[in-house]
Amino acid sequence: MDGCQSGVPTYEGDLHVVAAAHHIVKALGATKNLSDDLRKILIDLDSHLSMITSNIDSKGGRGLVDVEERLDQAERKIMRWETDPMMIWDSGPKEASDYLEAVDETGKLVDGLRGLSVHENRKQKEILHRAMNILQMAMSRLEEELIHILVRHGQQFEPKHMYSRSIRKDIVYDESFVSVEDEPIKETSSRNYSNDESGECIVDLVHADVIPDIKSIAKVMFTSNYGPEFCEAFISVQKEALEQYFSFLGTENLSIEDVLKMEWTCLSSKMNKWTWSMKIIVRVYLASEKQLCDQVLGGLGSVSSYCFLEISKATILCLLNFGEAVAMGPHRPEKLLRLLDMYETLACLLRDIDTLFSEEAGSFIQLQFHELLERLGESAIAAFEAFRVAISSNGSLYPFAGGGVHPLNKYVMNYIRMFPEYCNTLNLLLKNQHPGVADQVTEPDYGLDASLLTSCPMAYHLRSITSCLESNLHKKSQLYKDEALQHIFLMNNIHYLVQKVKGSELRLFFGDEWIRKHNAMFQQHAMNYERATWSSVVSFLKDDNPGSSSMSKSTFKERCKGFSVAFEEVYKTQTSWSIPDPELREDLRISTSLKVVLAYRTFLGRNLAYTDDKCVKHTVEHVENSLLDLFEGSSRSLRNSRRW
Amino acid sequence: MPATDYQASFLGRISIRRNQVIAMDGNHEQELQDLELFSKHVSERFAELLSSPDDIPCHALLSISWLRKLLDFFLCCEAEFKGVLMMGNDPSQISKPPLDRLIPEFLDRSVKALDVCNAVTNGLESVRHYQKLAEIVVSALEQKPIGDGQSRRAKKALTSLMSAMNVDDKECSAAKATERSWSFSRRGVSSKDRVPEHFRSVSNQVAKNWSAAKQIQAMTNNLVPPRGAEGSGLASPVYTMSVIMVFVMWALVAAIPCQERNGLSAIHFPAPKQLNWAQSIIGLHEKIGEEWKKKEKKGTAGLLDEMQKMEKLGNILMDFTDSFQFHGDITDQKAEEAAARSVELAETCRRMEEGLLPLQIQIREVFHRIVKTRTELLNALDQVGKSSPPLL
Repeated sequence: MDGCQSGVPTYEGDLHVVAAAHHIVKALGATKNLSDDLRKILIDLDSHLSMITSNIDSKGGRGLVDVEERLDQAERKIMRWETDPMMIWDSGPKEASDYLEAVDETGKLVDGLRGLSVHENRKQKEILHRAMNILQMAMSRLEEELIHILVRHGQQFEPKHMYSRSIRKDIVYDESFVSVEDEPIKETSSRNYSNDESGECIVDLVHADVIPDIKSIAKVMFTSNYGPEFCEAFISVQKEALEQYFSFLGTENLSIEDVLKMEWTCLSSKMNKWTWSMKIIVRVYLASEKQLCDQVLGGLGSVSSYCFLEISKATILCLLNFGEAVAMGPHRPEKLLRLLDMYETLACLLRDIDTLFSEEAGSFIQLQFHELLERLGESAIAAFEAFRVAISSNGSLYPFAGGGVHPLNKYVMNYIRMFPEYCNTLNLLLKNQHPGVADQVTEPDYGLDASLLTSCPMAYHLRSITSCLESNLHKKSQLYKDEALQHIFLMNNIHYLVQKVKGSELRLFFGDEWIRKHNAMFQQHAMNYERATWSSVVSFLKDDNPGSSSMSKSTFKERCKGFSVAFEEVYKTQTSWSIPDPELREDLRISTSLKVVLAYRTFLGRNLAYTDDKCVKHTVEHVENSLLDLFEGSSRSLRNSRRW
Repeated sequence: MPATDYQASFLGRISIRRNQVIAMDGNHEQELQDLELFSKHVSERFAELLSSPDDIPCHALLSISWLRKLLDFFLCCEAEFKGVLMMGNDPSQISKPPLDRLIPEFLDRSVKALDVCNAVTNGLESVRHYQKLAEIVVSALEQKPIGDGQSRRAKKALTSLMSAMNVDDKECSAAKATERSWSFSRRGVSSKDRVPEHFRSVSNQVAKNWSAAKQIQAMTNNLVPPRGAEGSGLASPVYTMSVIMVFVMWALVAAIPCQERNGLSAIHFPAPKQLNWAQSIIGLHEKIGEEWKKKEKKGTAGLLDEMQKMEKLGNILMDFTDSFQFHGDITDQKAEEAAARSVELAETCRRMEEGLLPLQIQIREVFHRIVKTRTELLNALDQVGKSSPPLL
């Protein structure tokens, strides 16, 4: 291009050559698939050729005059707007393109004049300075126009079309384990989004119609070396928009100290919100921002990713810090599911993050995400361990009244019922906990293959949790002085355990063998109960001499009285006992009835001769009906029983 | 990364020695040697920081590279501290007096330091923004010959730069400073029209009403040198590390724009001069404290050497562009002067470009390290708690 400067043509013929060259350059410039470097070269060439033309003219003294005329024209167009209160791009496409043309022309003149050695010519120098001044004015103006367009056409989007994940009932843990209601309804079905469901929903952060306008401003500003100004303005508006959106989502900045001090219920809802915000911000907002940056600044090398990073960095760091704070906090068992939510969210966003921040400058952000993921994983495992410890160490000083289902049992079973939803994550995290278990299974994706599910790490840990629970329940049963009540308690609780397993996806992890075994267990306790309570009662009705026809009246009276007293005693105690499950209660009554009523009927039948005696306090029917009052959980006594 | 190398070799040494300790059972002398070595290293490192020559820009006190060195030393000291504390003879020591009180206090301080790290990270975003504006100034003034247009361009960027740094001055808050300002607007497209009044940049705040100065003040709570017999035990490295941590956080906050710094100079931490290792830290604290007091009156975005240079050069260049616009043209001498300043500014920008991101990464490393040590200490306390007989 130096050649252009030195070789100033001297005769008419050259004018044609230059004109032809100019024509070719223009035609080339109109081609679409040009690299940016090439386009820049063509633009430079174009202005040089313009200069040569004017220089040729200057032989006749017209050259600079021509340049000046062109500059005057451009200046008029540019200066007109300096006093106009309207924004150019609001005034119509014609105005905008006229303005851009004038700026473009000025830029070319500046480039051309600079290309010639202007130092020698005072006049030329003057024109160059004037042109640069006009250009500066125009650039300032374009910056304002850009900000105006971005702000005016910036689109707020509501996160309503996002999967709005129904927030599951928070299980609130406290030391007594009593705060859990049984049967939390349909929790399991609410977590119905899949990790990919959210999909790539990209929205227009700025109205699509104005993208070409922004692009044209970018183009002319970058061509005139005002790229940094463009970036600063663009970044500032977009960064603020993101921050506004961030606060619109209701996410507030919290110091780590605040998070560590936070009450669990509050923290839990913040963790939920984080999970939700993180997804929207990364999957929707940042993906859209990235697209906007690429649309506007694509083809300008690393500019697009630089702007994207500057726009998003602060918000991302803010989200990450909350995660760090949560992962640092005490590893309470109740945090486990929320931690797993956060872990899963992050894990499924990692690919997006790696794509969004793929450039070297973004590797810092990438790294922070990976670190946080690791930290959350560790924290989840620690919470899992804490859960196990809390189960083992949950102690009681007094027996649980009535022998019903212990709150600890309810808490644990309702809690672990949700684990299968986190199966893959838990398996991944637990795999390294007990290497021996991991070795048994080589395939990490357990899917729904039932035969594999019972041998995955999670299944192992689930069974270990329930066995902790069982041994704690055994310990608790020892608090009852009455052996029969010990069995009722264990029967109730093991029955509950089995029901919970059978009634949920847990059965896939525990397996039929476990269920069979535990069914047998609670049935055994039922039998033990019967033996402990009724053997002595029924022994009154036993015939000591099966050979002889009947017993003596006094013996009968004595036996009868003994039975009545024992029965009334059992009645009084065991009506206050509780078997919450109606079916189980029914079963036990029937089998008790079979044993007791049958024996009583036989006893009375064999001694028909004495049955009118008032020593027979209870009729068979009365005994049978009375048995129906047992295990209802409210103490009663047999006062108003019918006498003969 | 020297810090990590050092840590690795250090831990290596410790683990070898630990076996010996176990073999010799209760080697108290070894522990004393460890403590001595620790405070010797602390004293050496901070002496090096104190004697850093001010006249070489890249070594100057509170320059980016100086801060990086400071953080490097912090990481080294921290690794050594952990070694002394946790690989010592008897792990149950940390649950016995006086450590049973000192360790929780130390952990509390650590958490506060984490928030300071985050505040400083946010502040670095502001600094990066200044750098970008300064780069525009440089690129405008680089043009030859300099004309009115270029001078206007430079002035516009300078105005943004100075007012961005000034926001920090007056508000001492990173919250507003990092809102990128794009100078004046003739058509009222000012930031006030674009966003609701009440909106303030949130992502650059640590939290509402958070204050760096108060945070550091709170870190000095209960920070007293161990007395009497405590002085020879593990209480002393806990104290030493606490002082180092408070000092490092304090220096970062003084250097880099940060949310709420009112009262920063009033913070004293009691480090008695007779403690050998503390002398250099006290020296640095006094030196930086003086600087801060000087600037505090005028107001400053921060004592970061590069930022102070930027401010000084910015003022000179601002005068230059003003006179340019006033007189229409300038003397060659003035033009040369401006060109020289602009080269200096370019050099400052270059140092920022090279150093800011690594500094940010390093602060994050410090953050993660503090988290890690905290977790390890908590686990150790937990372990000790489990193995000791229940208090019931």
